[in-house]
Amino acid sequence: MAKNIKIAAGAGVFLFMILAVVPWLLIKTGRGDLMSVLTSVALLSVISSGVWLTFFIGRINIGQGAYALMGGYVSAILVVKYGVLFWWTLPLAGLFCAAASVLIGLPILRLRGVYFAMVTLTLTEVARLLAQALSITNGPRGITNIPPPGGVEFFGLTLIPDFAELENLRLGFYYLAVVLMILCFAAMWRLVNSRLGFLCRSLQQNEELASSIGVNIGYLRVLAYAISSFLGGVGGAVFAAIVQSIYPATFQIQESVNFMLYCFLGGLSYVFGPMLGTLVLYMGWDLLFKTGAYQLLIFSSTLIVLILFLPNGLLSLRLPWRK
Amino acid sequence: MEQIVVNGLYLGAQYALIALGLTLIFALMNVLNFAHGQMYVLGGYMTYLVYGKLGMPFALGLAVSALTLLAVGAVVEKFLFRPVLRKSARDESSMLLAAGLAFFFDSIILLLFGQKQHGVPKIIEGVQNWGDFTVVIPNDKIVVGVCTVLMIAAFIIFMQYTKPGRAMRALAQDRTAAQLMGVSADRYGMLGFALGAMLAGLAGGLLVATTGVSSGIGGSISIKAFLMVMIGGAGVVPGAIAGGFILGMMESFGLSYLRAYGDITYLVIFASLMVFLSIRPHGLMGKPWG
Amino acid sequence: MQNIKKLALAFGVASTLSLGLAPVANAAETLKIGFVGVTSGAKAGWGISNVRCMQTRAKWVNDEGGIKIGDTTYNIEIVTWDTQDNTTRAKEGMEKMVQEGIHYVIGPNTDPTAAAVRPVAERDGVMYFPYAFPKELYTKPASNAVLGMIANYQSGPAIYKYLKENKGVKSIAFLAANESDALSQREGGIQAAKALGLKVLAQDAYQSDTRDFAPAVTPIVKLKPDLLVLSGVAGGTAPLIIRAARELGYTGLMSAETAQDAMQLKDGAGDLANGFISVGGASTPEIRSAMMEEFIRRYTEDHGQYDDESNTKVYAMEYILETLKANPKAINDVEEFKKTMDTLSVPNPYMKGDRKLEYVGLTSFGQKRQVGIPMVVTEYQDGEFQTLFVTNVD
Repeated sequence: MAKNIKIAAGAGVFLFMILAVVPWLLIKTGRGDLMSVLTSVALLSVISSGVWLTFFIGRINIGQGAYALMGGYVSAILVVKYGVLFWWTLPLAGLFCAAASVLIGLPILRLRGVYFAMVTLTLTEVARLLAQALSITNGPRGITNIPPPGGVEFFGLTLIPDFAELENLRLGFYYLAVVLMILCFAAMWRLVNSRLGFLCRSLQQNEELASSIGVNIGYLRVLAYAISSFLGGVGGAVFAAIVQSIYPATFQIQESVNFMLYCFLGGLSYVFGPMLGTLVLYMGWDLLFKTGAYQLLIFSSTLIVLILFLPNGLLSLRLPWRK
Repeated sequence: MEQIVVNGLYLGAQYALIALGLTLIFALMNVLNFAHGQMYVLGGYMTYLVYGKLGMPFALGLAVSALTLLAVGAVVEKFLFRPVLRKSARDESSMLLAAGLAFFFDSIILLLFGQKQHGVPKIIEGVQNWGDFTVVIPNDKIVVGVCTVLMIAAFIIFMQYTKPGRAMRALAQDRTAAQLMGVSADRYGMLGFALGAMLAGLAGGLLVATTGVSSGIGGSISIKAFLMVMIGGAGVVPGAIAGGFILGMMESFGLSYLRAYGDITYLVIFASLMVFLSIRPHGLMGKPWG
Repeated sequence: MQNIKKLALAFGVASTLSLGLAPVANAAETLKIGFVGVTSGAKAGWGISNVRCMQTRAKWVNDEGGIKIGDTTYNIEIVTWDTQDNTTRAKEGMEKMVQEGIHYVIGPNTDPTAAAVRPVAERDGVMYFPYAFPKELYTKPASNAVLGMIANYQSGPAIYKYLKENKGVKSIAFLAANESDALSQREGGIQAAKALGLKVLAQDAYQSDTRDFAPAVTPIVKLKPDLLVLSGVAGGTAPLIIRAARELGYTGLMSAETAQDAMQLKDGAGDLANGFISVGGASTPEIRSAMMEEFIRRYTEDHGQYDDESNTKVYAMEYILETLKANPKAINDVEEFKKTMDTLSVPNPYMKGDRKLEYVGLTSFGQKRQVGIPMVVTEYQDGEFQTLFVTNVD
């Protein structure tokens, strides 16, 4: 019981920090760039948490970029070509990706280990080439005239303001991203600690054994992969709205690899691993920008040292004042 | 038609040589070496320095590339991969290290050699022209092609008939059993990793003669090599060779015959690769693990 | 719980760090000019030549005691940001420039990254000089982007027309990397060729990571076009394609609409590159002024070796400085900058003769949103570029 209260208190402090203290501090100090970086971190961690979920069922997923790209395109096409309100396209993009991932996942989820990793890596490239070849995606020219998200009113009550008229657009996107991140990780936390989560964990450890005691492994795998792709699609859609454009090259193999690295760095056995991993890797690069030509050298050396000492992720670090 | 086959064979031989080292490292340590392409580039620059800059014999350049990468591979295995693999809960964690290494090599190469594409003087002049432009091959490509085949053959013989070769195959087949028989996993793991890196370096050094070398190409070469390894089956040497040739042929034929339908050659290649792996989840000759 | 605490700790450390690194506001006589572009990875060449131009010129100006704008003398500081050719990073970079109080930025280098920085730049008053060709960036309602070079839809027609009239070119083939920038340029080239009545024999694409180009050029060589255009080709790739095509027996002309580097051509293709046609700014010795020679000397001294792509890229920074000199109020006000853009006309310091620095682009974009660079069409011959002809873009 006391444990639950402690968790609730901790979560409360964390929410208060990122919803009130951090934005207040950033506005006070006028650090718009930092707010924008944190927005990206929040979104990238949502996308990476999808990758984490596939790790959770024992699959190395290097194909999340494909779903982020797909989600971005679905949202962009609906908004630009059909005039659908952005807020509706958000779940639609996610659902579209989830549906696509079921079709793709059914055959490829039978693969394991590096084979699954490589097939998903190929998937990212297939998505890019497909976006380049199709005409609904505007081919190599991309979609470059995406408007900011519109407002939502309910009987004259503004539920969501029109982003185009926001005085501080950065703050708008910050809240959007952070709220998505909170929802995503809360759901993930719930999922992992539910019956479903324990079944997934059994998949990670031994699929044959799980199957022999009556776990429907095929269904579980596809379900986890669909949730993962849903998150990728939603994240990609918001990104397209922030930069108001999407190209076939917006999410490439390098991004897919990065999503995987965020999970590794945070720690594969921690739900919040992707969040921390994204924060450190993504923001680390930004902090080093003054080092010019040596940026990549310092960045990669630090990364290697981190892995050497914490091969199981940053969250495996035991703080000295705790047991 | 003949030209397309020749192009495909030559491309395939290049690919096979690149994929060999990757698959060896994977077989022995279960490490997917993201830095393989960067090791290839490093080897390329070594030969470029010795042969292109200092004007010494090409063979010496190759030797320097091989030795440098042998050393790099040994050091990387002993001081980075071995401790990380020992401490990490899941084998996949080594992927983060490999990716970090790839970034590291990328930055070193860029700082040392600059961003420009570098080439070397032709190792041999002239072009062979059979049947009035039915098949055209430059002489240097013939030399490189023959060297490639010789290297692949030498590697197979080494793996098949020497003591370290047998030990490494035993480790790849069944690690525990091999260790129980007295094969030192540490020693042969290090040797295998060093050999794999050396093969990457040799490939890079050899191909400098025809395609030069450039600092930013490592990442995409790694990814191409992954594909070939997957086609053939991860961790199987003949599989990597087959995968290299299959990919080379697919590219060569695709670029000639699919061009009428727009820029879809690579879309078709990658999509069919996905379908192929869905049907044969372990590649052509891979074992059902990995 | 433990994890949440660690997370909070990390957030705290990260924010403190970045707040600590906040710029110190003492920039009374420092003029900051930004760069947001790609300086690592496969496309590093494009951004690095930009950065080196900027750094060389800034050091030169500072060595001479700074630049006088209005009544104040400024030292120039270059702030660079590596986008890694990634759209998110690019957006972050432009945000960083805004934070640093920078109003003039050179880059980005590719279509996707240029589109990604547009919302921030337009909203927060940053003039940026991309090396990307999509017209949406430069036409209204957009108004803060200035094309830093000559677009292929401008140089292509001129080159094809010259070759049609002087070298009897009747058929043409296009080869591009299979990615947005190059494919869009190929499309522009095809339209220009068709408008001139040239017969388009092939429009092919290769995967960007290709190293052995024999499979990609074999079908084109068989078609025997009079001219093979390498659309949007990178400086490092061009010699590989030239070599592959020539070795397979291709005898026609070859050209590119992007800037090339003589050293890379010589290194990668040797004599086979002779006759290769490309576009440059102050590229050839015949047209260079003494100041350009001095620039090349300083560049080589600072960075080890010169890069011919800089013949074009030297201009963007000069335009920024000259416009600021012409209207000192523009230093913190891009609206003033835009006003001056319409009227600016000063001598071009890098070329011989009485050429002018004037913003252009009215025909292509409906507003002056392009730096006016003399379109110098060159032919590679034994390690050097030679002038074929010189024209202007309007």
